[in-house]
Amino acid sequence: MAVPKRKKSRANTHARRSQWKAEVPTLVKTVENGKVTYSLPHRAKVVEDSAGTALFLEYKGRKVADV
Amino acid sequence: MPKPTKGPRLGGGPAHERLMLANLAAALFTHKRITTTETKAKRLRPVAERLVTFAKRGDLHARRRVMGIISDKSVVHELFTEIAPLVAEREGGYTRIIKTGYRKGDNAPMAVIELVLEPVTPKVKSAKKSAAAQPVATEAPAEEAPVEETAADETVVADDAAEADTSAAATDEAAADEKADDAK
Repeated sequence: MAVPKRKKSRANTHARRSQWKAEVPTLVKTVENGKVTYSLPHRAKVVEDSAGTALFLEYKGRKVADV
Repeated sequence: MPKPTKGPRLGGGPAHERLMLANLAAALFTHKRITTTETKAKRLRPVAERLVTFAKRGDLHARRRVMGIISDKSVVHELFTEIAPLVAEREGGYTRIIKTGYRKGDNAPMAVIELVLEPVTPKVKSAKKSAAAQPVATEAPAEEAPVEETAADETVVADDAAEADTSAAATDEAAADEKADDAK
């Protein structure tokens, strides 16, 4: 079995790990009832009632699926 | 004809992919709307639409072609007798994919794929576009002749090409002006 010849330095390990970054998603800004909301583009949205419980998914004014 | 897919197959092999797509298509035709992953939905679309095209043709040969893909006879019957008449007026685009979100567990992007069974509402052409389309069609044959003539002139009078070019350019400009006037 192949084995590493040398111990990986702490600096190398940290340098590798620092390259793992989170990406900022591109969001669309919409104003609903005077409230600004950000959402993913081209994706169905969850419709909620006044209490905040999810009812169904909606896209382009059409009910798409149940939650 | 759908464009062949490049890259790895769904499910690990060509046979597995064929089976999965056939099963997904059968499920789509029975339930009219299914939830699956985005990738599978996108791969399913051309397969399902091709089967609908066969169903619209409706003859025995088409039915046998579909039977070769979907093994369930009752599903094929439903496709030919119930779905095909509903999309008879529609020229392609029999399915609709809507992205819904990410699956809990493996964060796979999910989508709903459904048959578009609503009656077709023809797109209203803007008055400007339809008006512009007709004069262009009538003009086209008349304009072709002078252009050919100028091209012939250039070949004949090869010695004083510069002069011919300028004259041709002049005629072209004149033709373009005419066109613009007509368009107005």
